[in-house]
Amino acid sequence: MLSPIVIVQVVVNGVGLAAIYILVALGFTLLFGIMRVVNFAHGAFAMLGGYALYYLYSVYDAPYLLAAPVAALFVAAAALVLERFVYRRFYQKMFQSMIALLGLDMAIASTALIIWDSHERSIKPAVSEILQFGGIIVPADKLVIVAVAATALAAFYLFTHFTRAGLAMRAAAQDVETAEAQGIDTRVTYQLSFFIAIFMAALAGGFYGQTYALSPFMGERPLMMAFIVVILGGMGSIPGVALGGLLLGLGESFLSTFYGSSVSVFVSFGAVILLLVFRPWGLLGTPEK
Amino acid sequence: MNTTTMSSVAAAHDSRSITTGWAARGVIAGILALAILPLLPVGSFVLSIGTTAFITAIAAASLHLLIRTGHVSLGHAAFMGIGAYASVLVTMKLQLPFVVGLVAAFVAPAILALLIGPLVLRLAGKYFVLVTFLFGEIVRMVFVEWTGVTGGANGIPGVPPPHRLLLDPQAYYYFALGFAIVLVGFIGRLLSSEIGRSIDAIREGENLAECSGVPVLRMKVCIFGLSCGIVGIAGALQGHFVRYIDPTSFSMIQSLNLVVVNVIGGMYALVGPIIGTAFFMITPELLRDYVELQRVIFGVIIIVVIAFFPGGLVEIAQRRAHALRGKRKAGS
Repeated sequence: MLSPIVIVQVVVNGVGLAAIYILVALGFTLLFGIMRVVNFAHGAFAMLGGYALYYLYSVYDAPYLLAAPVAALFVAAAALVLERFVYRRFYQKMFQSMIALLGLDMAIASTALIIWDSHERSIKPAVSEILQFGGIIVPADKLVIVAVAATALAAFYLFTHFTRAGLAMRAAAQDVETAEAQGIDTRVTYQLSFFIAIFMAALAGGFYGQTYALSPFMGERPLMMAFIVVILGGMGSIPGVALGGLLLGLGESFLSTFYGSSVSVFVSFGAVILLLVFRPWGLLGTPEK
Repeated sequence: MNTTTMSSVAAAHDSRSITTGWAARGVIAGILALAILPLLPVGSFVLSIGTTAFITAIAAASLHLLIRTGHVSLGHAAFMGIGAYASVLVTMKLQLPFVVGLVAAFVAPAILALLIGPLVLRLAGKYFVLVTFLFGEIVRMVFVEWTGVTGGANGIPGVPPPHRLLLDPQAYYYFALGFAIVLVGFIGRLLSSEIGRSIDAIREGENLAECSGVPVLRMKVCIFGLSCGIVGIAGALQGHFVRYIDPTSFSMIQSLNLVVVNVIGGMYALVGPIIGTAFFMITPELLRDYVELQRVIFGVIIIVVIAFFPGGLVEIAQRRAHALRGKRKAGS
């Protein structure tokens, strides 16, 4: 069973999952770390990203590498309206944001249900070839997803480390008041972080819809996974998301290959609960005073 | 949980404008109205909505009890489910009378809560929310996977009613109303007692409460156990009313609904979850003509209420009462 070929296969699948999880969770943690908003509507934006990709790529036949980012950009731009009218009221109000955004999630998902009804759609794969390297079989589609996700994550890293706006964002994530005192315009920073967070969620939603299926309520699972990744890595910690996403993606791929998917969910949830009890601030987070 | 908002919300409620006499009269009037309702020519549909509302009110009030200690649980429906499964299994598999099932419905979730309580109640508010969320999902998965006992995703059909007379919707309406009055009344009495003041003290300042001689952790664990036991009874009432149980009835959505009921109504007075329940049950019925838009509008209403009345619907009533009193003073 445990031949090197199987292991490589498991790792490749795990990295594919991890890429999606990290994209969703990164936006989630960004919103939490900077604005203290628990975005229960995050899955809904992933769902919208899925539908946007469906229209651009499956219906209008745009080239994939163009369709994926443009679909996510479109969702993020449209979401700015919600930022103005809904999110802005709940910045720095953790508990209220949780309930209100739950309402928003309900509203968006139900609207999607009215527009697209409940039947599942599928997005055609970006490439249909299957690659073989000495016995290891990898669908090329999965590699494209990993590549696009990796590009987005690298761009995010470069942005937050080497541009002024990105540094401002990280400063605000660390301590909003001090950041403001240093002359950072938090309103613009909030808007920018929101845009980036939704962009990544929508991008991940496209990949997710491609890997599984598209439906108005498909956002629930990515949201749950984002939740777990963020808890695992530490609420608000950006490197924590990368670590948590990788652990969860690889763990899920490994456990579900050898022990079945329900065991994998039990183990990962159980591990996260234990972690929360003994180290509630997560693997890379910082304990609160 | 953001403690600063919590205490400011609580502070707003300290200036309680509805006097005890008024509250008592309101409660009696409300109970009378609910008791008379089935005598009017209403369909069994209204009775079934009413029964569900009473069960929801019990569940929401039990969560309110826990929220008063400063811990919001996102897994309360899981304990409700444990109660429902316990009672259904006791009455169906062991063929014991309903009363025994009811006891099991209280004891099973309460014991589980007492076991995990000492670990999870040490956590600060927001981590408690996350742990209970995950715990609820695990319990739901146990319901799904343990097919030999729970019937898996298909659930258990053909649950018997508590008594053959309770097949009548009107009888079950009064049965549930009775439970709601007793249990909510008990929670209200508890909250206005010495214990209730300890609970409020724990929420407002754990260290200070500890220093004043409140056994903080022990108190929180006991309240958690009690709260989970009561919601277990609500679960049993629901299972024997719908006469069918399955894992989806006790999923995270249901837990979230209970939290929404509390927040919409108002979190720091027991009337909050009661008003919240009424709102939660009636609004979708009012929107029945727009079946498709129902959930969209409901979602928007939640956003609006939270945005403008963070203290919930109770806050609206209090503001009005305040304004009225101001006018009266000005007049005299």
